[in-house]
This record gives sequence, structure tokens and C-alpha cells, in this order.
Amino acid sequence: MIQLRAAVLLVLLAISFSGKAQDFKFGKVSKEELQETYNPSDSSAAATVLYRNKSIRFNYNQSMGFSVSTYVFERIKIYDKEGFDYATVSQSLYKNNNDVESISGLKAYTYILENGKVEKNKMEKSAVFTLELNKYRNQQKFTLPKIKEGCVIEYEYKITSPFYYSIDEIALQYDIPIKKQEISIATPEYFSFKANMKGYLNVNPKYGVKSGKIDFTNKSRNNGGWGVTSTTYSNQSIEYKVNTSEYNMTDVPALKEEPFVNDMNNYRSSINYELQYTRFPQQLQENYATTWESVIKKIYESESFGAQLKSSKYFKDDLETLQIATSSPIELMGAIFSHVQGRMNWNNIYGYYVDKGVKTAYKEQTGNIADINLMLTAMLQEAGLCASPVLVSTRSHGVPLSPTREGFNYVIASVEIDGNLILLDATNKYTRPNLLPTRALNWFGKKIQKDGSIVSVNLFPKNLSEERVQLSVDLKENGSITGKVRHANVDYNAYLFRNKYTNSVEDDYLEKLENKNNGMEISDYTIKNKGSIGKPVLESYSFSLDNQADVVGDKIYFSPLFHLAMKENPFKLEEREYPIDFSFPWREKYTVNITIPEGYEITSLPASANMTMVDKIGGFQYQVLDNGTAVQLRVDVKINQAVISANYYNGLKELFKNIVEKQTEKVVLSKITSNGTTESSGKGR
Amino acid sequence: MRLSLVFSLLFLNFLSNAQELKYNSLFINKVLTENANAVVRLDQLDIEILSQQKMIVKNKQVITVLNKLGNRNARNGLGYDSSKKIKSMNIVVYDAVGNEIEKIKKKDFKDVSAVDGFSLYIDYRKLYYNYTPISYPYTIEFNYEYETSDTGSIPSWYFLSGFTVSVEKSHYSIVYADAGQKPVIYEKNLESLEFDKKETNNSITYTAHTIPAMKREGMSPSFQKISPKLMARIPNFHYKGFDASISNWKDMGSWVDNNLLSGRDELSPQTVAKAKALVLGVDNDLEKAKIIYKYVQDNTRYISVQIGIGGLQPISAIEVDKVKYGDCKGLSNYTKALLKEVGVVSYYAVVEAGGDKVDFEDDFADLAQGNHIILAIPYNETYYWVDCTSQILPFGYVGTFTDDRKVMIVKPDGGEIVTTTAYINEDNYQSIKASYELKPDGSISGDTHLVTKGSQYNAHFRLKEKTDEDIIKQFKSRWSSINNLTIVNYSFDNNKNDVVFTENIDLNATNYASLSGDRILFTANAFNNQSIVPDRYRNRKLPFEIQRGFLDEDEFTIQLPENYTIEAIPNAKKIENEFGLYTVSFEHNPDNNSIQYKRSFLLKKGYYPKEKYKEYRNFRKEIASVDNAQIVLLKK
Repeated sequence: MIQLRAAVLLVLLAISFSGKAQDFKFGKVSKEELQETYNPSDSSAAATVLYRNKSIRFNYNQSMGFSVSTYVFERIKIYDKEGFDYATVSQSLYKNNNDVESISGLKAYTYILENGKVEKNKMEKSAVFTLELNKYRNQQKFTLPKIKEGCVIEYEYKITSPFYYSIDEIALQYDIPIKKQEISIATPEYFSFKANMKGYLNVNPKYGVKSGKIDFTNKSRNNGGWGVTSTTYSNQSIEYKVNTSEYNMTDVPALKEEPFVNDMNNYRSSINYELQYTRFPQQLQENYATTWESVIKKIYESESFGAQLKSSKYFKDDLETLQIATSSPIELMGAIFSHVQGRMNWNNIYGYYVDKGVKTAYKEQTGNIADINLMLTAMLQEAGLCASPVLVSTRSHGVPLSPTREGFNYVIASVEIDGNLILLDATNKYTRPNLLPTRALNWFGKKIQKDGSIVSVNLFPKNLSEERVQLSVDLKENGSITGKVRHANVDYNAYLFRNKYTNSVEDDYLEKLENKNNGMEISDYTIKNKGSIGKPVLESYSFSLDNQADVVGDKIYFSPLFHLAMKENPFKLEEREYPIDFSFPWREKYTVNITIPEGYEITSLPASANMTMVDKIGGFQYQVLDNGTAVQLRVDVKINQAVISANYYNGLKELFKNIVEKQTEKVVLSKITSNGTTESSGKGR
Repeated sequence: MRLSLVFSLLFLNFLSNAQELKYNSLFINKVLTENANAVVRLDQLDIEILSQQKMIVKNKQVITVLNKLGNRNARNGLGYDSSKKIKSMNIVVYDAVGNEIEKIKKKDFKDVSAVDGFSLYIDYRKLYYNYTPISYPYTIEFNYEYETSDTGSIPSWYFLSGFTVSVEKSHYSIVYADAGQKPVIYEKNLESLEFDKKETNNSITYTAHTIPAMKREGMSPSFQKISPKLMARIPNFHYKGFDASISNWKDMGSWVDNNLLSGRDELSPQTVAKAKALVLGVDNDLEKAKIIYKYVQDNTRYISVQIGIGGLQPISAIEVDKVKYGDCKGLSNYTKALLKEVGVVSYYAVVEAGGDKVDFEDDFADLAQGNHIILAIPYNETYYWVDCTSQILPFGYVGTFTDDRKVMIVKPDGGEIVTTTAYINEDNYQSIKASYELKPDGSISGDTHLVTKGSQYNAHFRLKEKTDEDIIKQFKSRWSSINNLTIVNYSFDNNKNDVVFTENIDLNATNYASLSGDRILFTANAFNNQSIVPDRYRNRKLPFEIQRGFLDEDEFTIQLPENYTIEAIPNAKKIENEFGLYTVSFEHNPDNNSIQYKRSFLLKKGYYPKEKYKEYRNFRKEIASVDNAQIVLLKK
């Protein structure tokens, strides 16, 4: 009796506990929630998630084994029309042959306030659609009925997935604010997952341990004596530990778009669960990932990676030809790189595992990233060079902060010659040794050496990629200018130029160039090193351009950088939360020589300026000289880091403000009066 | 006898050699490679109409891709749905000299949902294959054959598929089973095309050779408007389960009415009562229509679901009423049903929507024209047009999405071609009245008062629906030439009745003017600076078009800093020509040390030959220069 009472008490306790949280029970939308007209903590939000619950559980079924079920419940307030899009929900479902993820228990309601009363509208089955996107992905979509400004929607469903070894990344931040969210994940001890966190939010998970149980029915056949067989069933159960993590958060701000960001999703706070190993009772532990070493070992041991480095027959003849033609290791590396770069064509598929395999790819001349760069590594190794593959996460893939296989999506090659490490990527036609495609410039890569050891490799370019412009200008009395330009694009600037323009017809390119420069007219255009990838792209041309100076009365006003002056500050927002991403460090140098029209003298010149940002992040130099009939200008802008922390935003904004200000400042010329002429020429004599 | 055998053997031999070399891309006629990223060596479409409900379409397309930009011209897939069965499909790739290098069979094609980016669901799918080129030029041959019961969707024919692609041979043929299926073919823009047309008692064939590529040029009319095209329809066709006999728009309208709309306008008694209650005491039909339209706007939203005939037929009004969403057809039909219950007549209208104005062809009716539905409400000898998919457009205002173009309205006695409301020249009005103060440090502060009407209203009134952050962002991009701009305050007034949008914006900006020793230089025209000059073309080929025109009027009062004199001020200016009228004046008022700046710019709608382009560009260049003219102040 006493025992029973205790049980009742427990039940009651449980009820009162859930009673306390009843605001967020499905179906319990309050009048207050419906009456709210804006989100007090973010009045610009078109919609807000009032409550969100996501719980991920592992289930065991004797015939099917383990599966993962994810319960999703969201209650969303829609304030205005811009928020209507949140009333349409789509959920990706993966499939692989017979293994298919499925949705069950979908319920959805729209709540509106009608004459002061809460009206509840159920979503019908006809509003639910399943799209077969492709072989591997279905998409379940649904939209809620009777959406209007001020309504609240609610939906819940469960996803059952046979893919227990991979749990989708859990976003902790949306494009709209979240008032309260409770996310939990419970994993049986047989699965060891590692949680990788990303983003700029403060997250304090709560960890715990529970117990779970699996019930088995065992069937056994007994051969009794006297030839009697009988089948007996026995029920058995196994108890195991369940590790839980809870992420309970309130007032999660919306993720907002900012310029000079490579992909906003990289800054979205989220958790990614990655399976490290499985260890079932009476079985050996199977490792998936733990340390960088084991992650990489796993990748290396795969047929689609390490094994691809071992065969050499398919390129043997070609390699011999290359070897005969070269003498030094550097030359040999260059020749092999150019050979692979010239032969192979990237099919736009990423990955550190090969797609069709190096042999087939070599034959067909196309392949994914791994096909091409592992083949390159294999050739370099076969040629006797100390070459190794380097695992990379591309810029759009984010930064791998802790050891994970999913953290990488790309591979390049490296060679060590005379103690120098040279990075190679042959998947783009305009790269060269130590100049990777911009997509691969992302913090650190992991180099896998032949003995299996791992070395971190900094992928950010250290050299400033220069753009040098030399301008000699004849300023006319009517404000137009003619002159000559010599323009050099170096390193990454050359890489970008070649990727953009090498394919276009020269006439089209010139038209673009003319129109980019306010409709200037270009003649005598020459370009050098268009295809010589190791060298800067050099362009030179003559030009004429109208309206480059204001002629007012007997004065002429002009900015000495003319059409090249930076007229707008690219940083307009007051504040910034995320790093500013320039891809690579750079430097712009302008040298301008201006011959002023005859009969004019220089009345005033902008003052020279010199500015350096704290911690040498960037700098700006501006110098004007005057020698009577000509003005000489030197401008030098430097950004010394590829990615700049948001802490420096104000400094950077200030730097660009100064650049704009200085570059648009005017030189003033005045007509020499007859009086003056005599005087000055008198002086000259 | 012997001789002729030798001859024919030789000839055969020659033929087979020719066969091998036919996709060689090294000797393509120069006329075809100019301005082209790809050359269509052969585009052959053979259509076989076997009966009213059976059509077989075969296409062979051989394209030589000259460079990377030409890849998008190499067609690599085909859409299909349940009434279109793809019987065969393959791709063969040839290298520059014409050797076959890759063959792709139907089973290697990817089968994906043809998601359009906005529909909740679409039953259209796509078979495609992405080929990765290994060198240029290469030639890709794409073949397919499909069978369909939808003889109402005979593929149209573009001799050229777009800009920067040329055609060596284009061939279009329709073979029909009996005279009753003889198609009506509508020829468009064929004047400048040399082609061969052959007719037999059961076929029609068009062939054209050597069509050079056209280059895209700014302000040119849309490709669709100027390129040669064929459209075809058979008198008695079938479409997604419906038979039809159509010879003109009147028939088309009746068919739509009888098959797609009839019986779909029923509403529940409660909803009928509600609609009637909404207009209780209102007699005027136009007022009633406004009330119903507002009710629809406040209570529904746009959701697109496209299944089968759903591409043409609206979901029933009763269903839309239940879920309060629908696509353009469903929402228009629902609104029409509500209007009917309150005694207001409206017509379902099929339109080709988009920023480019595209007309329905007066004398050729088919199902391919039109991509959107709006409603026409007849009142006092005119039509009021409403778009039921928008929750914010004013009643009777169709913006730039469906303005000034021929559309088909469905009347009880059949279809009719009618032109929607046009917004031309002065209709598209903007006025900016502003006063700002210039300070000795070069900063400005002031207030602006903006009024927009017509198509300019369309470009502004949506601001009201945006979040605070987006509004500030838009102001900063509108006035991107003002650096360090700070928006102090703003308010809007959206007068939906007269379709006038008003913005009041207080702002300031540091370093607006540039300082040079004792001088301050600044542009008087701070808020409507048209510094964009149309692109220059070394050798323009296409005509150009100003689709709508506009009138801008600006008036700024500029308070000058004390202790400065005006050293230089630009002269008043007037430029008048066939493109428009531009005037500007600067008046100094010494009494209160201010400048009164007045500007007016009328740009007229027009269609001009390419020869006029330079003149137009000079006009805009001059305006840009005057708009940027500087005033110079000198310290006393």
C-alpha cells in the first residue's frame, strides 16, 4: 500500500511538473500570444518562434535494429505579411535504396482571434505534399490554412530515420527570433557521439545520464532426450545507459545578413553530432572518429582515398615523358602539375573521396576534386617527390573546429622540396603552385604524410595580392581627360581576372571595361600574360573620358584619381557581428601623373595622408606632389589579413571612410591672369 | 553499268566520310561564330499528329559549344509529366574534329522534380544529364522522342534560342494524319529571316539556314519580342483530359468558361452571407468591388500547387474559402465568385505577366500564351484590373507586372482581347521636395518629402511592408552616392485610393561636401542624381526601347554656411529632344543665404532604331554631367 502511494505521488508530481510547462503544450495557444502585435525584443521581426521543441531519441526494434526518431514541435507567431512564408514548412527526407526516412504523426493548426475568441483551424491532408527531389532526397512540404496577420501556427511531427550513424545538424538559430527552445538528444551508450558547436551564441548544454532497456525474445530449440525437440521462448532484457544533452535557450536573436560574408550559414549557431564510435555488447568497438589522427586514419584507409594513391600504371607513360623533359624537383613538380591541370576538367562535384576513381577519371579527363588532386598527389609521389594530400574544408563549408569527417569536403595536394611546403590544386585552370582556388582558402588543412602522421597547414595566403595602376593623364581645359593606363593584376587578382575574362571575346571585354569606367573610350589595348599563369596580367591602353573635372568660371576642380577614386564606403551599417571576409590579403597601388592644361596654375592640393589601423590590419597612404605644370599622386591601400574579426569593424569602416574622403578630395586650378603670366615667366627667365 | 557502280561506291564512300566529319567544329562558317558562344549545327523538330489525342514529338539538336559561356546553350534535358511519356533520350558528345567521345543513354539521365522555386508542389519532373566538357570546342548531340495526349501543346518554334547563339540549320515539321488536323501556324518576326516553307497534303515544313547570332544590348526589346518564331495549333485538340475546338479567342474564352471555370464559383451559404454583409448598404458596384477585394487581400495568401489540369484550371472557390490560400487562378476565381454573390460582374483574364510587356496575339489563339490570371471589372465603359495574388496592391492598380498589354478576358459569350491599364510618361511621377543645410565641415542635414505615382509608385510603396532594418538599407542604397548617411526619422503615407505614396525622411550625412583649403565643393542635386549613363556599344545592332517613361520634379532649398561666398555656381540648363525634356536652375537668394535648386526630367516612352542610340546616350550623359555639377563656396 505504501509502495502504491509512492507511485501515485510520483505520477502526480509528474503531472504537476508538466502542468507548469503547459503553456508550451501542443494546442494550448493563448489569447495573449494571439494579441501580440510585435516582438518586444525585436520589433522588426516579421515572425517569431514562440516555442520550439526538438527531441532526438534512439529506438530499438528486434527485426530492424536501431533507428533514430526526431520529434519536432514548433509554435510560430506571424506578425505581418512578410512572415507568411513561415506558414509553409519543408522537411528533407533522405533515402538510400530501401532505407528511407519517413514522417508520421503530422498535425498542424492555425489559430486566429475571431471576435475575441480563439479559432482553431486544422490543416487537411490535402495540404501535405511529398516531392521526390532526386534519387537520394524526398521533400515533405505542407502549408497551413487561414493564415493572416497576427495568427499563431503550430505543428508537430516525428521523423523516423534508419540512418542512426548520422544525425542532421541542429540549427539553434533561425532567420527569425526564437523566444524559447528546448532541444534534447539522448544516445544509448553503444553510440558515442561528439557534439560540435558552431556560431556566435552562448550555449550552455546540460548533460545527464538515464537508463534504457531493450527487451528481447529469444527463441531456442532444445534437443531433449528420447528424441523430443521443443522450442522455448525466453524474454530477456538488456539495460544500458543513455547519455542526454539538453539545450534550453530563451530569446535567441535572428540571424541577420551582413555584407562581406562568405556564407551566412557559417555564422548560424548550430550543433552537429558526429558519431565517433559504436560499441555493442560483446562486439569490438568500431571507430568512426575521435581525434584528428583517427578521423584522418579512417579517411585514409578508405578505398576511395588512400588506395587511390597507390596505383600508377595508368599515368606511367605520361609521367616518363615529363621526367625526361625536366631536371630539378621544382621543375618536375611544375611539369606534373601543369600536366594534370591541363588534362583534367573538374565536374563541379566536391569531396575528399573520389567519384569515379583516379584511373577512370584520368582516362575520361574529368573528375571531382578528389579524382583530380589525388591523381596529382599519386603522380608526384611516383615521381619520387615528397607529396601528400591535404584535407580541406572549403569556405562555404565552414571551419572544422574539432575532429570530424564531415568537417572536410575537399582535398588538395602538397609537395615538400628543400624544406618548403608547396600547396597544389589542379581543379582550376588558372591556379599555380602555392595559389589555390579561393574556395579552398579556409584556415587550416590537414596534411596526411606517408607514415600516417598529420600536420596542420595554414591555407591563408600570406602575400598581399597586388593591383597596380599607373595612369598618365592630360587634363583638358573643358574637363575631359586623355591618357595612358598600365594596369597589373598580380597573384589572386590575376587569378580572379583570368577566371572571369579569359573566356570572353576581347571586344566584349573592352566594352565592359569601357562601361565600368563611366563610358571611357579605349584604344591601343594590349594584354600580356593572359595565359602565362605564373605572371601578372598586364594590360595597357590609351583612353579618353569626358566630364572628369568641374570647370567653373576660371577654375578647374578635379579629384586626382578621376574615375578610379573610391566614391562609396562599402561598409554602411553601424555595427557588425561577424568577421569581414576579403578572401585574401590585398594591396592597391596607384601612381598618377597629371599634366594640367596650359595657362593654369595649381591653387590648392589635397594634403597628404597616412593612416594605419591598429594591429596593422590595414593602412592607407595618400601623397600629392606638385611641380608647377604637373600633379603627381601616389595612393597605397593595404589590407593585411584575409579575414578580419568583427572587433575591428569600426576601425575598418573608419579606414574606408578616410579613403573615400581623401580620394574624392579636389585639386583646384586657376587660370593664370595675364598679370601672373608675366610675373611667373619673368621669374623663369 | 560498271562505271556507275564504281561511281556510286565512290559516292557512298564520300557520304560516309562526310558523315564522320559532319560535326567537325573547326570549319564552321565565320558568319556563325561571330558574337556566338555556341553554334546550333542542327535543330530539327518533327511533330507527328496521329489523332486528336496522340502526338509524337522528336527533336534532334546538335550544338557546337565554342567556349565556356556556350555551355548553357547545350540543351541537356526535358521536362515531363503524367501525360507526356519520354520514349527515348540520349546524348552523344564529339570532340573538335568530330570524333565521338562519349555516349549517354537514357538510364544515365537524372530524374528530378522540376522545382520552380515558388510552388508548394508541382507534378512536373525533369530528365537531365550534366556533361563536363574536357576541351573547347566540342559538339553535343541531344535526341529525344516523346508521346503525349496533349495535342493542345504543340511546341512553338524559335529559330534562334537566345542571344549569342547562331544556327546552321533549323528545321520544323508537322505531319498530320488527316486534313481535319491540319495545324494553323502563326508566323512571327519572320520578315528578316530567309526560310523555306513546304506544304504537302499532310505536312508543313519550315527550314532555315545560317542564322547569325544576336548580341545582348542594353535597353533592347526582349528577345521574345524580336526573334523569329512559329506557333501552332490544330483546330480540334486535347489537353489534360479535355477536348477543345478553337479557331479564335472567342472560342478559347468559351472553352475556358465551360470546361475550366463552370461550377467552380460556388460558395458556402455562410460565406455568401458574409460577403453580402460586407457590402450591406453599399449600392455602387465599384465600391462593392473595392470592399470584396480588400476582404480577399486581408484574408488570403498566394500558394501555388500545380497538378495536371491544375496548371490551367482553378481550385474551386469553396476550397479556397476553406484554406484561404490559392494560386493566381484559384484566388481570381474565388474573388470572382464573391463579387458575383454581391452582384458585381467580373471577368477572368489571362495575361502574360512580367516586367517586359508581352501582348497576346490578336489573330492567333492558343494555350501557350499567358502565365498569370487577373480579374477585369467592367464599370462605366472601362475596366478596372485587380491582381488577387497580392495582399498590398491598391484596387485597380496593376503595377508594372501586367500593365499596358493585350490580354484575353473570359466573357459569358466568349473570349475577347483587351488592353490593360497603361502608365505612360507623366503618369509615372516622382517629386522630391527637400531642404537641407550645408555646414562648414561639409556635412548636411535636412528633410526630404518624396511623392510617387504610376509605375514609380510600384517601385516605392512596398517599403511600407518592410522591416525597419530593410527600410534603412533601402534608403542607403537609394542614396548610395551620399556617404556616411544617417536616417534620423522617416514616415510613410500610402494613399491607396489615389495610388500615391509619400515618404518623409529626415537625414544627415557627414563629409557630403569635399573641402579643399578655404573652399567647399558640393553637388546641389543631393537626392535625385541620375549619374548612370547607358552602356556604350562600339557597334550597336539592335533597336532600343523605353517601355514606360517618367516625369521627375525636384525642388531643393539649400541653406549655405555663414561666412562663405559663392565662388562658382552652374548655369541654368534646358535640354529638349525627342527623348524628353530636362531643365535645371540654380537661384541664389542672398537675403537668407540659400540656393533654390529646381530640376525637372521627362523621359518619354518610345521605340527607337539603333541609329538613335548614340544621341540618346549623349542626352543621358549630359544629364549626368549637369546632375553632378558642383557649387563652390569660398570662405570670406
